[in-house]
Amino acid sequence: MRRPLEIRAQENAVRSVVSLTSALESLSSMQIAKTKNKVLISNQFFDEVWSIYKQIRVDALFNFGRQVDEKPIDKELLILITAKGGLSGDIDQRLIRKFIERYDQAKNDVLVIGHHGALKLKQSHIDYTYYFDLPEKDYINLDPLMDITKKYTRSRIFYQDYISLSQQEIKDVDLSEVVSSKGRIADMSSVGDDLVSEKNYIFEPSSYAVAAYLENSILRLTLAQFIYDSRLAQVASRFKAMSAAKERSVDTATQLHTEYNRAKRNQVDTRLKESLAGLKKIRAEGAA
Amino acid sequence: MADETPTPAVTESEQPANTHDGKPIMEVKVYAPFQVYFEGSAYSVSAVNDTGPFDILPRHHNFLCMLVPCNLVVKPVEGDSKIIKVHRALMHVKADRVVVFMDV
Repeated sequence: MRRPLEIRAQENAVRSVVSLTSALESLSSMQIAKTKNKVLISNQFFDEVWSIYKQIRVDALFNFGRQVDEKPIDKELLILITAKGGLSGDIDQRLIRKFIERYDQAKNDVLVIGHHGALKLKQSHIDYTYYFDLPEKDYINLDPLMDITKKYTRSRIFYQDYISLSQQEIKDVDLSEVVSSKGRIADMSSVGDDLVSEKNYIFEPSSYAVAAYLENSILRLTLAQFIYDSRLAQVASRFKAMSAAKERSVDTATQLHTEYNRAKRNQVDTRLKESLAGLKKIRAEGAA
Repeated sequence: MADETPTPAVTESEQPANTHDGKPIMEVKVYAPFQVYFEGSAYSVSAVNDTGPFDILPRHHNFLCMLVPCNLVVKPVEGDSKIIKVHRALMHVKADRVVVFMDV
């Protein structure tokens, strides 16, 4: 059996882990509330822009805001949105696993957002073509990302979706499909007077220029929405990981405390036995 | 100028505009995904697009345009004019409601 002092030292170390995970859990909880609130506020903005886009769209195929004469790279760009660092549970690992299922070096180029994802890709011996840090501030400059996306015929985005505090899912969607499906109006007859056309609207500089601008804006907003959703899922995953770590460390600390008491008791018993044996020996010598 | 365009047949101008002290007003919202720059009733909104500077007044025809970098000026019903710096924005005007989507 280990010495009580050793067990005590280990218990103290585990208690520090409990404090640390507890602090990180509280921090994640605050971040979730803040991020969730922001996502809700931004959704109102996105929905309003989407509703205009739905009414103004002229063709069924989303063109990524490209000019007609621009020739895109005939590859699928895989975009990964991951956390900026560790301590976010297994969510990035799950995303990388899903990505690897689809990845084909000959057919795909890889764009990774977030340092943690870049590290995981290196560990899996996959080279990425483009890298961006995960934006931390509310305003995200998506222009560099947009420029790259426009170069490719197809783009698929792997992101983390927040379902609830205890559930986050990994999803992958074709960027063109998601924009087309959201922009599609199910029933044209329901649009009625809401349809934005040259008949009932003034466009400046022109309806085509505004439609092209909106197509760019929608792509920008879609990418931004995926990044905001992933951020929320990441903090939720961190909260979940920290809660689990705290629970485990509390259990370990309790077990160590019991083990310490047992070892201490055992030590006292051994000393008592030794003393009694010594006394018996002295008595036996005295009688002789 | 956008406000100089003749009012076409299909328009909301047949409906009486909201007024404040006898002057027609409209609802204005200028916002970005995480920030509302202005929300409330106003007498006019002035901005600049590719065509040049323009004003939006109550009963304006439906209007959709891209704004170029400029200072957007809102004359609210109460208080001084609000000047909002625009980098990139989309303006939508319909039924006496002006919405400016910033940073899109």
